[in-house]
Amino acid sequence: MAVIKEKAECCTLLVDELYGQLPARVYATLFQRGKLSVRLISQFSKLSARQVKNGLCVLQQHNLLFYSVDANSGEAEYSVNHEYAYNLVRTGKILEMVDNSYGPAGRDVMQNLLLLGQTRISDLVAAYQAKINEVNNDDAWLNDKKPELAIKSKAQLNSVLCRLIEAELIDVIHSKTFQSAHEIEKQVHREVMDVYFSNGIKGTKAKIEFEQRVAEGLRKVREESKTLKRKLAQNGGASKRRKLAVGNETNGAPEEEEDLDPALDPRQVIRINYEKCIVELRSRRLVQYVNETLGETTGYVYGQLLKQLTKNISRCKSDPLIDALTPEEKVTPSVTTNEILDKVKTSIDLTLGIGKIPSKSISKSAAERLTPLAPKDKIPFMNQDDSDDDEEDGDYSDSDEEMDTKKENGDAPVARMSRPEQLRQHLLLLAEGHPGFVRHCGEDEWTVDFKPLMENLRATELDSIIEQTSGRQGLRLIRILRTKGKLGEQALQSLSLMRKVDLQQKMLEMRLVGFAHTQEVPRDNKADPKKSIFLWYCDTEQAYSSLIAKCYATMVHCLQVLEVRRQKDKDVLSLAKRTNVKGKEKDMMRDESYARFAKFLKDERLLMAEMMRIDDTLALLQDY
Amino acid sequence: MADRDKIQILKDALYEAARDHGSDQRLFTQRDLLDMQVIPQDNIGLLMQVIQILCDEKLFVGNTTASGLSWRWRSREDAKKYTSLPNSEIMMVYAMVDEAGADGIWNRTIKNKLNMADSLMKHCIKYLEQKGYIASMKNVEHPNKKMYIKANLRPSDRATGGPWFTEGELDTAFINELQEIVFDFIKQKSTYTSHGGGAGVPGVGAQGGGAQQREKNPKKGVVQGTIPHSEDISKGTKRSAGEISNDDTAAPAPAKKTRPGKPQLLPLPAGYKSYPTVSDIAKFIHHAGITNNTTLSEADIQQLVDVLYYDGLVEPVKVNGRKGYRVTRIPKQDPRTCNQRRLDHDPTKGGIVTSFMGVEPSASGLMEAPCGRCPVYDMCEEGGPVSPSNCVYFRRWLDGDEVQEQVISI
Repeated sequence: MAVIKEKAECCTLLVDELYGQLPARVYATLFQRGKLSVRLISQFSKLSARQVKNGLCVLQQHNLLFYSVDANSGEAEYSVNHEYAYNLVRTGKILEMVDNSYGPAGRDVMQNLLLLGQTRISDLVAAYQAKINEVNNDDAWLNDKKPELAIKSKAQLNSVLCRLIEAELIDVIHSKTFQSAHEIEKQVHREVMDVYFSNGIKGTKAKIEFEQRVAEGLRKVREESKTLKRKLAQNGGASKRRKLAVGNETNGAPEEEEDLDPALDPRQVIRINYEKCIVELRSRRLVQYVNETLGETTGYVYGQLLKQLTKNISRCKSDPLIDALTPEEKVTPSVTTNEILDKVKTSIDLTLGIGKIPSKSISKSAAERLTPLAPKDKIPFMNQDDSDDDEEDGDYSDSDEEMDTKKENGDAPVARMSRPEQLRQHLLLLAEGHPGFVRHCGEDEWTVDFKPLMENLRATELDSIIEQTSGRQGLRLIRILRTKGKLGEQALQSLSLMRKVDLQQKMLEMRLVGFAHTQEVPRDNKADPKKSIFLWYCDTEQAYSSLIAKCYATMVHCLQVLEVRRQKDKDVLSLAKRTNVKGKEKDMMRDESYARFAKFLKDERLLMAEMMRIDDTLALLQDY
Repeated sequence: MADRDKIQILKDALYEAARDHGSDQRLFTQRDLLDMQVIPQDNIGLLMQVIQILCDEKLFVGNTTASGLSWRWRSREDAKKYTSLPNSEIMMVYAMVDEAGADGIWNRTIKNKLNMADSLMKHCIKYLEQKGYIASMKNVEHPNKKMYIKANLRPSDRATGGPWFTEGELDTAFINELQEIVFDFIKQKSTYTSHGGGAGVPGVGAQGGGAQQREKNPKKGVVQGTIPHSEDISKGTKRSAGEISNDDTAAPAPAKKTRPGKPQLLPLPAGYKSYPTVSDIAKFIHHAGITNNTTLSEADIQQLVDVLYYDGLVEPVKVNGRKGYRVTRIPKQDPRTCNQRRLDHDPTKGGIVTSFMGVEPSASGLMEAPCGRCPVYDMCEEGGPVSPSNCVYFRRWLDGDEVQEQVISI
């Protein structure tokens, strides 16, 4: 488990920010030393064992730890679950996403789960029940302004939970949840060895079989958290109908709908499934991107398509160990035009967002061209076009002429299309050209190749960062290097149409930031620097990793600045915490204090928002 | 002596025959020369004599190639220049310059190749320059080298750097101007301008039904307001594409996404066949007569478009094997041309605009935070001389705008 320093710092500070100093100190120790028992933690962190246990308890509750019991000593050893710790920063985004797709009720449940950590369903139900009772008994007739509850009944809670579980946003905790991936893998290895290969593995064939069995075992472990979902799917007769109600629960979904949901096993412990949440966030990001490149109507269509498509995608990046060997799973899901059409709101005008031109100047065959196969893994950034599609072109242009002449006869210069056809226009636009948002994989079937698409988006993000640091000329030079490979200064100069002085200055600038690098190629054994050839090149992977580190570091800085501000305004903040002041700060505090208080809140909001925005970049670079 | 006369005649005949058979770049082998049927009975000895005389008179230039000796002819004027030179040193220097052709030759190269004393070579060059046979030139690739070229030749594109150079300097102003024009051209040709205009076409809703109704009787209220188009419509098919598209989109556009009255660029449907190609752009530039004293070849324009592509401003789209270009991030593009934007730009309103082409890069959180542009980022650490807690950039970022706000509120 290698974690870069910046990430470790960031996670520790996030824990500090959310759960206080004690857990943060324990966490920092774990980051520094790796897997530790309670005794060792207390030794290294100079905390008493009791304090350490308290800290661990909080961390465990929020799923921020892995633990395993050492077979020899019988002591539990703890290590950090840094992915989960980092995901804390996405809390806001996840809540917003749930709010958008499942309404405020869904968000409320999600929020409580985030606050509580993993929770037994019965506890959650009891807590809500208490709240509902409180409001109902609290002299409802006396107090007009009783707080509006997002969840009004147990049945509704149950139904919301069912929705979220079906969407995989919530999953179940099982015995292996608290083991690190590595630990689980080791265990599965051992089991497989014991059961099938007691005599050891001999030969390549056995090796392959061994790997398959391990992958199978791992998959089984992974599936365990989906038990509730499966159960729901089994008596899922109602789920079809229910889907119609999704999103409308705010306007009081009909009671009977809720009754149809099977009661969830109250003993199950649930938690938020970040993997799936990240899938949803990725879709959001993609839609944003389409909004920028092609327009909002197309972006909306794309959003609907992704919603359909990602229903059965549980994680953004497939595990090389588990998923490599299952070709049947690899068949990417696709959606048909009609499926999308069913979901598009009737209020959306699909004629918007695309220019209207006579169909004469559109080549139908080119637009409708099918690409049934996913693109091969090409070397990223090397010149990708011009390669494979030329031979087919000849055939197409012929049939094209025919089509055009036919079109001309019917004298409607601008084709007025039916709604499905309008929708198709958006999808075709998405499918055309770079960066391949959608692949038209069959007649009226659409799919998305996430891997190359995300690779392209990553490059775009890097480009925009380069453009902001080094200007458009810097971007130009980097993109030339990316497409052409290593280049000498002369070649670079003639390709970029830049003055030698400007070019050298720009390259130097980018060399310092780490976007570009030089390589020295000596002409002879003496390696005389005067005679050596110097080549410029850019290492994109390295640029990514340095950017990722920078993102973490910037978040750390934001949190540190926030802490400094908090210290500075300590007196005001402690005043605002007093129960008689809380909620009516403006009236109770002196003007000067209130101004400081408001300023602090503003700064806090700004810094938090900034962190979320940095997370946008970071997530794109490493998680999507 | 009859023999000598005969050789004289043969010499002239062979020279003329060689001239007829190719340019002064063509190399003739012995076989080629014999096949011209000038030398009687394929007499090799005679041919040798004739060629020797031609070479002496500088009318033929000998070459050694992989397949053996060969010759090419030289014009009589040039030959005369050679023969008029006083001594062989000067002749050799002139020959070197002559060989180098339009690329020119570096004086050090002449010196090294001829193994000549410095002073002697200088003397030769001076003589030749005075005579007006050679001239010094500048090469953009090696601006510090002293180069010479035959006086009656124009330096090659490689030496001058092609159309992008003026007097050995890269003409960035010219390039930039031209880029803007090309960019505007591509923008205009690859997008659709939706005038989110106010001309109300009532009830042109989203529903397919509405659209179909329009299809049936297009005379009703489809056309955008001010100018009466009805005659045009009755003519039916004769309308231009621009007009047609106007009446169709102008109305629905303001419904949701656009602020009324503001034109907006929209992408064209997939499979659009007329995205401008490089040759389209070259034609446009040629006809517009923007570059009246330089001719730009298609390759030059390609270079220009490539730079736009590397800048992330345009992207290639392939439709039926035809590689056209369109601008990127269409909805964000400003419908005005670069020049218009420059004129409209108010420098007092702050913000240094480096380019009027395209769109600002999309904002990223990292660059917005002070750390993204921090010059001392690498040494910033809590406890160090520069740390987040004493960071001036953060202070400015968080407090700076508040100071401004207060000023405004007063």
